[in-house]
Amino acid sequence: MGHGHYIAPPAGQYRVKAGEKLELQFVVLPGESRDIELGIDLTGPGAEAHIKALYLCKADEKVHFHIVMHHRAPGCKSTQLINGIAGGQAQVHFDGTIVVAPDAQQTEAYQENHNIVLTEEAKVVTKPQLEIYADDVKCSHGATVGQLNADELFYMRSRGIPEAEARTLQMLSFLSPVIPEGREEEIEAAIRSL
Amino acid sequence: MDKLLEIHDLHAKIGDKEILKGIDLEIKPGEVHAVMGPNGAGKSTLSAVLTGRPDYEVTEGSILYKGQDLLAMSPEERAWAGLFLSFQYPIEIPGVTITAFMKAAVNAKLKAQGKAEMKTGDFLKLMKEKMALVQMKPEFAKREVNVGFSGGEKKRNEIFQMALLDPVLSILDETDSGLDVDALKIVADGVNTLRSPEKSAIIITHYHKLLEYVQPDVVHVLKAGRIVKTGGRELIDAIESQGFDQF
Repeated sequence: MGHGHYIAPPAGQYRVKAGEKLELQFVVLPGESRDIELGIDLTGPGAEAHIKALYLCKADEKVHFHIVMHHRAPGCKSTQLINGIAGGQAQVHFDGTIVVAPDAQQTEAYQENHNIVLTEEAKVVTKPQLEIYADDVKCSHGATVGQLNADELFYMRSRGIPEAEARTLQMLSFLSPVIPEGREEEIEAAIRSL
Repeated sequence: MDKLLEIHDLHAKIGDKEILKGIDLEIKPGEVHAVMGPNGAGKSTLSAVLTGRPDYEVTEGSILYKGQDLLAMSPEERAWAGLFLSFQYPIEIPGVTITAFMKAAVNAKLKAQGKAEMKTGDFLKLMKEKMALVQMKPEFAKREVNVGFSGGEKKRNEIFQMALLDPVLSILDETDSGLDVDALKIVADGVNTLRSPEKSAIIITHYHKLLEYVQPDVVHVLKAGRIVKTGGRELIDAIESQGFDQF
C-alpha cells in the first residue's frame, strides 16, 4: 500500500490443520483507513489460532475488523485480543464471530475487543458474537468502549506529569498487551500524534 | 517570605452543590496545620480545590501560594511549584509501574525548571532510599501503581511519593483513615522526617490519632463549609472529649 504503517499477514482465509498453530499480529497506525477481513478455519483436532491486533486512528479514518473464527474440529483453541484507540472523527467497526461446530467438542475460544474513544466525534461499534453448536466448550467474549480514566489522569497530573504525557502513559498501558516486541517507540510516537 | 499560603473567602461547588462557603486560612513556612471536622464538612473539597481537581468549581475568593494566584495554575504546575496531595483514596493505575510513574513525575518537574533529566541509576538509588523511609519493600518499585495494594500499602506509597517529590506544601487528606497503629506510626515517622523550617503541611482528619504523632502548630475546625474555630492543640482534646457539636 506504500504507507509502511500497516503490519500484517495478508487478510483472507486461513485453514489451520491438525496440530498446527497460527499466530497473526495486526498493527494499524494513523494515516490510512483499513478493512481487515479474516476467516480462520480450525479444521483438524488440536489446531490453534492466536490473533492480536492494535489500531490507532484519527481524522476521518475508518478501521473495520471482520473476523470469523470457525472451530470445526475437537480440541482446538483460539484467542483474539484486539485493542485500539480512536480519535478525531474516526469510525471503527469490529465484527467478530466465533462459530463452534457440533463436532468441535473441548473447544477453547476467547475473544476480547477493547476500545477507547478520545473525542465525542469518534465512533466505535463493536459486535462480538458466539454461535455454539457443541456442548463441551469453554468460550468467552468481552467488548468495551470507554474513555481515558479521569481519576488516573488527575492523579498523574497532581504528581507533576503534564496532561499530554499522562494521557500517553495511559494509552501505552492500555495497548501494552497488543504491542509487538520492539515496536514500542513507534507506537508511542503514533499515540502522541493522535 | 511571610506567608506560604493565603486562602481568602473561598467558595467552591461541585455540580450545583456549594460545599465551601467562605474559607479563610493562612499558613506560614514551617507550620503544620490540622483541619478537623465531621464527615461532609468540606475537608476533601478543600484539598481538591487546592490541587486543582477539574470537577470542582471555585465561585468566589482567592488562593495565593508564594504570592502567586494558585487557581490560575494547572494541577501539574502546582506540583512543580511544590504542592503535594496525599490522596484519601489513592488511585490505581494498571499497566504503569511505580518506577515509571515516579520517573515521569520527577523528570517532568526537572524539565519544567529547565534542568536535565535524572540519570536512571541516580533515580533508582533515590527511590530506594525514599521507599526505605516508609518501609516499602524494594520489589514494590516494579509493581503497578496501587494495583492490589492493601489500604496501608497505598498510604505508605503516598508518603513515599511525597518524600521523593520533596514538596513545599503537603496536604494529607485522611491519611490516617484505615491504618492500623503500626502503619500509622510508619506514616507519621515518614511525615515527621520531612518537616523543616521551610516546609508546611495541612493535615486533614476527623480524628486525633495521627495528630498524636505529628504535632500541629495550628488546629482549625471545619464545619458546613466554614472554619468555625482556630486554635492550638487544646482544640484536639476538646474535640476528642466533646465532639464537633460544641462548635
